[in-house]
Amino acid sequence: MSTHTIATPRRRSTRGRGPGGIVAAAFLILALAWTVVPLVWMLLGSFKGPGDVTASTPQWFFEPTWRNYENLFSGANNLATYLNHSVIAAVGAAVIATVLGTLGGYGLARTAFKGKKGLSFWFISTRMAPIAAVVLPLFLVFRFAGLIDTLPGLILAYLTFNLPFAIWIMSAFFEAIPPSLEESAEVAGCTRWQTFWYVALPLTKAGIVTTAVLCLVFAWNDYAFATVISGPNSQTLPIAATQLVTQTGVDWGQLTAIGTIVVLPMTLVGLAVRKWLVTGLTLGAVTGE
Amino acid sequence: MRTRTPALTRRQMLRAGGLSLAALGGLTACGATNATAPVPGLAPGADPWRRFAGTTINFISENTAPTAAIAANLQPFKDLTGINVNIVTLALPALVQRVALDLAGGQSQYDVVYADPYQVLAPYAAGLSDLREFAADDSYPPLEGGFEDFIPTQLQAAGMFGDSDAIHALPYDCPTMIWQYRKDIFEKHHDSMRTDLGFDPTPSAERTWEEYFRIAKWINDNVDEVPYGTGHQAKQHDSLMCDFSNVLWSYGGDYFADGAAVGLRGSEDPGECLLTSPESVAAAEFYRRLVSIAHPGSLGWDWDGVGNALAAGEIAMAPNWHEFAATNEEALPGLVGYAPLPRGPVGTANHYGGTGIGISAMSSGARRGAAWLFVNWATSTATQLSNLRSSAGGGTPTRQSVYAMPEVQAATTRPTEMPNMLTEEAVSIAWAEGKIGLRPKIPMWNECDTALFTELSRMLAGQKTAREAMEDATSRIDGIVARGWVA
Amino acid sequence: MSADQTADQNTAARSRDAGDAGIGPTPVAPSARQHDRGRTGGITFTGWMMSPGVALLGLLSLIPLVMLIMMSFSRVRLLGGLQLEFVGLDNWIRAFSDVELWKSWVLTIGFFVSTLGVELVLGIAIAVVLNRLTRGRGLLLPLILLPMFVAPSIVGLLGRYMLDPTFGLYANLLQGLGFEQDVLGNPVSAFVAVTLMDVWEWTPLIALITLAGLSGVNPSVLEAASIDGADEWKKFWNIVLPSIKPILLVAILIRSMDAVRYFDIISVTTNGGPADATKIIPVRLYEAAFRFFDLGYAAVIGIMMLALTIMIARLFVGLLSEKETH
Repeated sequence: MSTHTIATPRRRSTRGRGPGGIVAAAFLILALAWTVVPLVWMLLGSFKGPGDVTASTPQWFFEPTWRNYENLFSGANNLATYLNHSVIAAVGAAVIATVLGTLGGYGLARTAFKGKKGLSFWFISTRMAPIAAVVLPLFLVFRFAGLIDTLPGLILAYLTFNLPFAIWIMSAFFEAIPPSLEESAEVAGCTRWQTFWYVALPLTKAGIVTTAVLCLVFAWNDYAFATVISGPNSQTLPIAATQLVTQTGVDWGQLTAIGTIVVLPMTLVGLAVRKWLVTGLTLGAVTGE
Repeated sequence: MRTRTPALTRRQMLRAGGLSLAALGGLTACGATNATAPVPGLAPGADPWRRFAGTTINFISENTAPTAAIAANLQPFKDLTGINVNIVTLALPALVQRVALDLAGGQSQYDVVYADPYQVLAPYAAGLSDLREFAADDSYPPLEGGFEDFIPTQLQAAGMFGDSDAIHALPYDCPTMIWQYRKDIFEKHHDSMRTDLGFDPTPSAERTWEEYFRIAKWINDNVDEVPYGTGHQAKQHDSLMCDFSNVLWSYGGDYFADGAAVGLRGSEDPGECLLTSPESVAAAEFYRRLVSIAHPGSLGWDWDGVGNALAAGEIAMAPNWHEFAATNEEALPGLVGYAPLPRGPVGTANHYGGTGIGISAMSSGARRGAAWLFVNWATSTATQLSNLRSSAGGGTPTRQSVYAMPEVQAATTRPTEMPNMLTEEAVSIAWAEGKIGLRPKIPMWNECDTALFTELSRMLAGQKTAREAMEDATSRIDGIVARGWVA
Repeated sequence: MSADQTADQNTAARSRDAGDAGIGPTPVAPSARQHDRGRTGGITFTGWMMSPGVALLGLLSLIPLVMLIMMSFSRVRLLGGLQLEFVGLDNWIRAFSDVELWKSWVLTIGFFVSTLGVELVLGIAIAVVLNRLTRGRGLLLPLILLPMFVAPSIVGLLGRYMLDPTFGLYANLLQGLGFEQDVLGNPVSAFVAVTLMDVWEWTPLIALITLAGLSGVNPSVLEAASIDGADEWKKFWNIVLPSIKPILLVAILIRSMDAVRYFDIISVTTNGGPADATKIIPVRLYEAAFRFFDLGYAAVIGIMMLALTIMIARLFVGLLSEKETH
C-alpha cells in the first residue's frame, strides 16, 4: 500500500497527458460499462413489471414496482426459508472454517516437522479439487451418515473447500508476522497459547476478517454442492433461483430479484475487505495493494 | 460387449461389497431399519381421510402446470386430511437426479415422486411402490372410478413398466405436442397462401410436414405481423428429441423394432437401434431443412421458448405442448388455434409427454399412508377439475370421467374458463392409438436420449449430415443399450 | 529440495514483500522453527493447533477419495443400498477409448486457454490504466471488482437474460449490429458467450492481482528508462511485464485450478450444447454421474480431473519455492 503513496506523485510529474491518456480513458469507460451494465440491468429488472422485464425492446425507463420482491416473500415457496438456509449454511461454514483455520494456520506457520511440505500440498489440492469429483463420493458418504438434506450436511460440504482455504491463507497471514515479537513474549514468560492469543492473533485481525468473508462468499455462492446435497429442508438461494426456470417459462422479474438478493450482500462484504482481497484470493502468494 | 464369468464376478462383487460396507462402517444399518416401519392401522369408525393427520410428507415434482396449480391450492387437502405437504419443484434433470439419489440410499426423503416414465419409472420401477396395494386396501378411502377411469394409453405409458402388471404411478399430467398457430394470421392470408401454395393452408390432420414447411417459408417471405413462420424447441436438450420424434415417426422411422410396444409398456432390452433406416434418415433430413428456415432462436429454445415466442408474436406456428394453451390464451386471447400435427408419408405422430405420480418404495409408516392419500387426492376428479380453472396455469385431466363432464365439454369452445380445454379436439385425435407418439421406455433412455439430441444438435449446427448424425447416434445408442442397465 | 527449505518458503516470500512495501523487518523465521523443534516428545503445540482442522479435513477428503478410487473399478448399484461390483479396468478402458471424452478434454483446454487469455489481456490492461490514475481510483476499483462476488450460477442466469433472442439487452444490441442468430444456439457464439461470462466474472481478479504486482515495480527504473527515451509500450514490455511475471503466473495457476473447479455458468446456460460445443469435462462428469448414474465411469473422469488439479497445484507450490530461492 505504502508503495503507492510514495510512487504516485513521482510518476505524475514524469508523465504527460497525451493521446495515450484519451485512449486509456476510453478503455476504462468501456471496461466499466462492460462490468457494470449487466448488474444494473439485473437490478432494474427486479423492479420491472411482467411486461417490462421481457419487453422485446429493452426498457430503461419504466414504472418501478416492488411486486417481484413481494411475490418472492409470499405464497407457498416463501423465499425467507431459503434465505434462512443460505445464511445458516454460509455463516456456519465460514465461522467453523475460520476458527479451525486460524488454529491450524498458526500451527502450520510455526511448525517445522518433516511432513510440512506434504501437508501444505494436501491443503491446497483439497481446496482446488474439482467440485464435480468431490460431490459424487461425498454424496454417498453423506447418504449413509444421514446428512443429506440437512444444514449440517451442507456446512460440512462447504468445509471441504473452506477449511483447507482457511488453514492455508491464515498460515500465510501468520507467517507475515515477525516471529521476534512472539519470541520476546515467550521470553517474558508467556505460554505458547498465550503468545498465540495475545500476540499473534491481534496482529492478524485483518487476515481473520478477510478469511471469514471469503469463506462466506464461497459458501453463499455455491451451486454445485447444493444441487446434490440440499433438499426441501435445506434448499439455498442459488437453487431457488434456478428453480424459477420452469417448464412453462422463466419468471425473469422474480429471477432478477433473487439475483439481486444473492449478489448484494456478498458485494458489500467483499468490498469491505478489498484491501486484503488479493492476498486471500491468491492464497497468500501475492500481497495486497 | 465384454463377457465375464459370472461366478468370478459374484465372488468379487461380494468381496468388493464387503469392503465398501467396511469402509462405511455400520452406517448402512440406519437406512435399512427405516423402511420396515408399517403404516399405522385405522381405528374402527375413524375417518379414513384423517387417519394420518399431523403427518408431513414431501412431494418432489417437475415444475409443471398441474403442480403449480396444486401448490397454489393445497389448503383443501390440508383441511381434508390434516396432512402437510412440502412441494419441491425442480427442472426435470434436477428432479431425476434427486429422485435417483433418494432411492439409492435407503432413506426416503421424498414420499411422493413425479415419476417421469423414461427417466424415473423405467430405470427405477423397483424403487416405486405398486399402487394396487393401496387401492385394494379397505382402510383407505376408495380410488374413485378405479384405475379404469384413467385414459388407458396414459395409464400404461405413465404408470407401468415391462411385462409386470404393477401400477407404479397414476397419470398426473399429459402434455402432448400439437400444432399451435395464429388463427388471425392464417385467416388473413388464407386466400393468398392458397393461391401461392396450391392447397388449403388451414392447419388440420390433413396437412403434411412438407406442406407445413412450405407454409412456414411462405410466412417468412410474405407476412409482416411476425418475423418467422415456425419455431422449434431445438436446443441441445431433451426437447430436441421430442420435437424431432414427431417427424421421425410420421416418416415411418423409429428408434427400435416394435417401437409402439417399447413406448407403451417399455423394455429392458429393446434390441438394435433403427435410426439408420432410410425412413429415419429421410425424417432427419427433413427436420434439418425445417429448422433451417425456423426462427433462429429455435436453437436455444427448450420447453418454454416456443411458447414464449408464439405469445410474443415472434412466430406464426409451432409444434408445441398443448398445456401452453393457458399461456397463449392469456397473451393472445382468442387468436391461437390448435390442430393435430401434420402427417408424414405414413401418418401423424403427436409426442406424448405425460407423467404419473407414484410413491417411493422406501416411504414408510404414517408417511407412506399419507403419500397415498395425496396421490389419490391429487389425481382425483375434483382436483383435476379445479386445476383446469386454476390461474396458476393448471394441467389437463387424465381421467375420462372429467372429459365427460358437461361443464368441461362446454369449455372446449370460446369463451372459456378452462383455456387448456380449447385443445380438446386436437388432443383427442392425438391420443388415439396409432397417433400418439411414445418414445422408448427403456431404463437407459436418458443416456440414449442425450446421444441422440447431441447428434441432432450437431446436424442442425451444420457439422454433420442427416445420415452421419443418424449413424453416429445409432452406434452410440447400440453401445449404451449393449452395456445394459444396473440400477 | 529439503523440507526445511519449503517450510520457510512462505515466510521468506512474505517478509520480502513486506520489506519492499517498507513495513516489514528482516526475516527471522528460522529461530521460530528451532524453537518449535526444541519441544520433542509427543505432539507439539503446533501439532495440537492443527489437529482439529486436519482431522476434520481428513474425514471430508480422504474417505471420498478412497470411495472415488473404489468406484472407478466397479459397477455401482444404487437401488436398495449401495453396492460395488468389481469390474477391473472396464471403466478405465472405456474412458480412455471414448472419443467423446477426449473431445471434451480438448474443449476443456480450449476453454481454459481462451478464458485465461482474454482475462489476462483485459485484466492487465485494466490494471495498467488504473495504476496510472491519480484520482478516482478509490471509486473505480470497487466498481470494477463487483463481478467477482456474484455467484457463478447467477452469472449464468444473468447471461441468459442478457442474451435471450426476444428480450435480451445484449442480444438486442447484437441484432442491431447484424447478428441475427440466437447467441446460445450457435456452437461458436455459444462457446464465446460462456467464455465471456467467465471473463466478465474473473477479469477483475486478474486486474486486482496485477495491480498489486504493479505497485512493486521500481519507479526509479521506469524513470531512468524515460530519460533514455523509451516509449510507454517499450517500458511496459521491457520493464513492467518482466517484473510482474511471477505474480501473473500465480494468477494463471489460481485461475486454471478454479476453471477446472467450477461449471455453474455452463450448467445453467447451455449445459454442454449446442452440438457439444460447451461440454467441458466437469459438465460431462456431472452428466455421467447424476444423469446417467454411470458412477464408476464418472469416478474415472473425477480421478482424471483430480490428477490435473494436483499437477497444477504442484506448479503453484513450486512457483512459491522458486520465489524464495531468487
